[in-house]
Amino acid sequence: MGNTGDTGSDEYLVLMKNIVKIYPDGTIALRGVDFTLRRGEIHGLLGENGAGKTTLMKILAGILKPTSGTIYVVGKKVVFSAAADALKLGIGMVHQNLSLIPSFTVYENIVLGLPRKQLLNARENINKLMSLTGLRVPLDERVEVLPFGVKQKVEILKMLFRNVDVLILDEPTTNLTLTETRELFNMINELKKMGKSVVFITHKLREVMEVADRITVLRKGRVVGEVPRAEANLNLLAQLMVGRNMISATSRETTTAGEELLIVRDLWVLSDLGTWAVRGVSLTVRSGEILGIAGVEGNGQKELVEGLTGLRRVEKGEVIFRGRRINNLPPSELYKLGIAHIPEDRTLMGLILDFTVSENSILSIQRSTSFRGFLNTLVWGRVAEHALSLITKFNITAPSLSSPVKYLSGGNQQRLVVAREISKEPQLIIAAQPTRGLDISATEHIRSLLLDFRKRGKAVLLVSSDLEEILQLSDRVAVMYEGRFVGIKNVSELTEDKLGLMLGGVSD
Amino acid sequence: MSYVLSTIINLLVSTSYAMTPLTLTAVGEITSERAGVVNIGLEGMISVSALVSVAVATQTLNPWLGLLAGVCAGALIGFIHGIISAYGKGAQIISGVGINIFALGFVPYMIIALWGVAGYKQVPEAGRIPRIAGLVSPIFIFCVLIAIATHYILFRTSLGLKIRALGEEPQAADTLGVHVERLQLIATVYGGALAGLAGAFMSLDWLGTITKEIAAGRGFISLALVVFSNWKPSLALLGGALFGSSWALTEWLKVLPGVKGVVPVTIINTLPYIVTLGTVAGVIGRARPPRKSGVPYLRE
Amino acid sequence: MRRKVLIEVLIKTGNVVAAMTVGLIIGGLIMQAYGYDALHAYYSLLRHAIGNPLTDPYPLTSTLSLATPLIFTGLAFAVSVRSGLFNIGVENAVYLGALGVVLASGFLKADTPLVLVIGSLMGLSLSILFALVAASLKVFRGVHEVITTIMLNWVAYWLVEYVRVNVFPDLRDPSKTIPVPPSARIPLLVAGTELSVSIIIAIIASLTTYFVLWYTVFGYELRATGINLIAAKYAGIKTSRFMIYSFLLSAVLGGLAGVCEVAGRPPHYSITTGISNLVGLGFDGIAVSLIGLNHPIAVIFASILIGALNSGVRGMQIEARVPFELVRLIQGVIVVSLAMPGVLSTFRKYLSIRRGRMEVVS
Repeated sequence: MGNTGDTGSDEYLVLMKNIVKIYPDGTIALRGVDFTLRRGEIHGLLGENGAGKTTLMKILAGILKPTSGTIYVVGKKVVFSAAADALKLGIGMVHQNLSLIPSFTVYENIVLGLPRKQLLNARENINKLMSLTGLRVPLDERVEVLPFGVKQKVEILKMLFRNVDVLILDEPTTNLTLTETRELFNMINELKKMGKSVVFITHKLREVMEVADRITVLRKGRVVGEVPRAEANLNLLAQLMVGRNMISATSRETTTAGEELLIVRDLWVLSDLGTWAVRGVSLTVRSGEILGIAGVEGNGQKELVEGLTGLRRVEKGEVIFRGRRINNLPPSELYKLGIAHIPEDRTLMGLILDFTVSENSILSIQRSTSFRGFLNTLVWGRVAEHALSLITKFNITAPSLSSPVKYLSGGNQQRLVVAREISKEPQLIIAAQPTRGLDISATEHIRSLLLDFRKRGKAVLLVSSDLEEILQLSDRVAVMYEGRFVGIKNVSELTEDKLGLMLGGVSD
Repeated sequence: MSYVLSTIINLLVSTSYAMTPLTLTAVGEITSERAGVVNIGLEGMISVSALVSVAVATQTLNPWLGLLAGVCAGALIGFIHGIISAYGKGAQIISGVGINIFALGFVPYMIIALWGVAGYKQVPEAGRIPRIAGLVSPIFIFCVLIAIATHYILFRTSLGLKIRALGEEPQAADTLGVHVERLQLIATVYGGALAGLAGAFMSLDWLGTITKEIAAGRGFISLALVVFSNWKPSLALLGGALFGSSWALTEWLKVLPGVKGVVPVTIINTLPYIVTLGTVAGVIGRARPPRKSGVPYLRE
Repeated sequence: MRRKVLIEVLIKTGNVVAAMTVGLIIGGLIMQAYGYDALHAYYSLLRHAIGNPLTDPYPLTSTLSLATPLIFTGLAFAVSVRSGLFNIGVENAVYLGALGVVLASGFLKADTPLVLVIGSLMGLSLSILFALVAASLKVFRGVHEVITTIMLNWVAYWLVEYVRVNVFPDLRDPSKTIPVPPSARIPLLVAGTELSVSIIIAIIASLTTYFVLWYTVFGYELRATGINLIAAKYAGIKTSRFMIYSFLLSAVLGGLAGVCEVAGRPPHYSITTGISNLVGLGFDGIAVSLIGLNHPIAVIFASILIGALNSGVRGMQIEARVPFELVRLIQGVIVVSLAMPGVLSTFRKYLSIRRGRMEVVS
């Protein structure tokens, strides 16, 4: 790349100017963003969910095309048509859920797509690179059997082997333990010493303070601040990120917990791979309380929820609901007993995207006598009434009852799920990641609905990897780590720091 | 003793014939499914290619030109299916079924249009592929070689690595500069060409005739063979021999004294299909299909 | 937003029309290439498909009668698609439904309407039996239904051939099975034509299917299973059970097509050599269902469309000497074209990507 660029400046390795991104469905993700990256710099990109961080970096990595705006690399204007183009210019991105081929070996994943010439002594070169960076991975192991932290190293190594100068890490610590996070930060500093630039996407204030040289804060598709670390502090960043004080509008009133609704004793559940995902979990949920289960995703929460809701076999242990053993009852029976389930993924499980709003409003209660007529017919008039009452009561914006829910925004889709589940008038709601990927107003709305439900003397089992959510909603908190609970504590005894330690499997 | 020996040799030879179209088609389909494209139109491709190769061979009286034409016909249909699947991101199953329906009409239509006869057309002796030592088909030898070569390419070369990546996680390959659509198209054309060769083999070599039912379910049995072989060409060779022997046995049973005239031919004819059903039902649990085969690759 | 839904429907309909056009054009080119006069052929096709109903009802009734089995097989396939399956076994259901009636005719040896009743029951039981094989292999072993049903099609084919050759051949005409006795035949709707009461049964079947799919809890759960298996399980639906139900429904609908063909179509009232009067009806059902966007009511119209092609092609064969198989060829092209939604727009996008790529290199 020459420096005959049209910016006349070589100060920045990367310069993104006035980037706008409007998705085909009309969502405006970026509203004219400028972004710069220096050589050998660790640049933190901070923002909430939906602020546009990932979109911006996907544009830099050539995965998305900007609606308008220009990108300069070493002072030269570039247009990427594919991720491979960006990679050729030395820009590589490591995605949150990685992009490795599970059935391939580590070695195969690293050399995939390289020209034959580079393959000749690839193994030797990879070994050299490993000792240079300290990133040690087993080359001949299949990727699918490796823990997440190692997979992430493979992905980083894959990029480094392609000689990237810019490494973009998207929320890299989400699925890491504390030790792994520490290792990652050391590695990032190593890379800096080697002259590489790193973009570190995160919503975690402490991490960005710890590792970044410079921090750009995005909010709702705009840059709201760009500060060197020396001038940054937690409060400033938090205010920039959220746009107001961190203290949430929803607050929890104290209630007194009542009878024990759900008792789980020594629960064991298998994962899809046939390994133990839940290893002897015991818990109780009382009426009038929210039991929060925190933890890094992939520590068995999903299997726990599926085991409790009849979607996955319980191998060992006991589940008792209101005095009745409910092990391995089918979901339909559990619903009848008064358990509702807000599933982790609304588009995959909670809703049928091609079904209409009306049809989705009765998903899982379709057999209820209130909608059934002669000969098991569905009385659409009554279904429509039900759907309409959900829409008005829960403030759902929907074009019409007969439009497929795929045309609703994510927030309204989730409101529909939560509304439907609450409308079943259950005793217990099992809510998994209820506000994931939602904007602030939808998030607060749903949290207040759950708190309101609790206030009415019902119970919630909340599974969330969002610590703020856990601390804000729960009365008691359990942390799940490698299929077990690392202690259950009253929320008053907890701080985010303490919780952070427990997430990494450290109990006291 | 000599009766036993000659029976064994006979069965082996007829197995070599019966397995060739199945194995060729399966090896091609393995390649294309490894690249992420499922083609259930193999049945139609076999019969269309069988027809085209007969048309060219009877015209030129050159079996090799006929063979080439058959391969090209298969490759052409593979190309169309590849364009629809790789570039058009279309519904692969529907396209495949369409190819089969097309063949159902095209083959009998062409038999009438070209030769004015309904039902079938004999291949003139000069248009048939010569056999080695009067017994073994050169295409059988080729089939064995191509299965081994395809296995080598898929599992031992960087091209194979790229192809397999497309069926597992095309997005990962795309990021690394692998041309997803182009390679998927090439793999589908390759699959089509091998199905075409299978068709040409059946009409110009094995049977020496073209009928509208020439494929007789072999395209679908090949799909079953793909599952049986766990998407590995080398195992497709073995499985092909197994499935092929059930066809050979079927033909042998029909003329076996004590069976002939006692058990109706029609009943014996059901045998290979029942064997296929049973085998697939038995092994399916162990098979591991490419994760993303049949799923159109859409970029963000 | 209502507009979005409307636009979606319009686009889908547009795709169908475009696919049909492509099919007819390619069919025309193939005719022209082999010395047939395509325009003449299409003209005579049209004349024999519709004609002038006022002076000669035959073309139109022939179209409707040929549409009848397609309504059944189209419905059978639509039900399977709605439940998330790609059931090609409709073809064997047709054979076996017909076989049942022939078997009843042969065993009872009496000229009574009872033959039709018992025959239908036997035929449907046979097709259900075969469907259960495919269904259980799918549900319990995870074998893809395309593979199993095709194998079962061939097994059914040879079984029917066995009955035709060895059990109940027509001694006066060995190319057929014994005919269905006159009083067990489905009465004609218009005397002197092929149009029988079967079409009324077919239309009732499609209205019923529509009602069941959209106005019952059963239909709701079946459709939920078809669109999103995981969400269906979440909703407490026993999804494996619904897959089996779907196989059974398809078997019954496909079986009815076979029953109506042997018991309701003059002049044979029997199964002919190589099952030639039934072969392909199940596959035509796939085309019909896809053209009808897998909707039970639209399937009726799609069937009439394909029925018109089938009827017209008879006249085309006589007048323009074009083999009738051309129709299936055209159907194949239509189905292939239906596989690519908006292929043009995809290509335009792709071209612009290529152009974009050029700018990087320099």
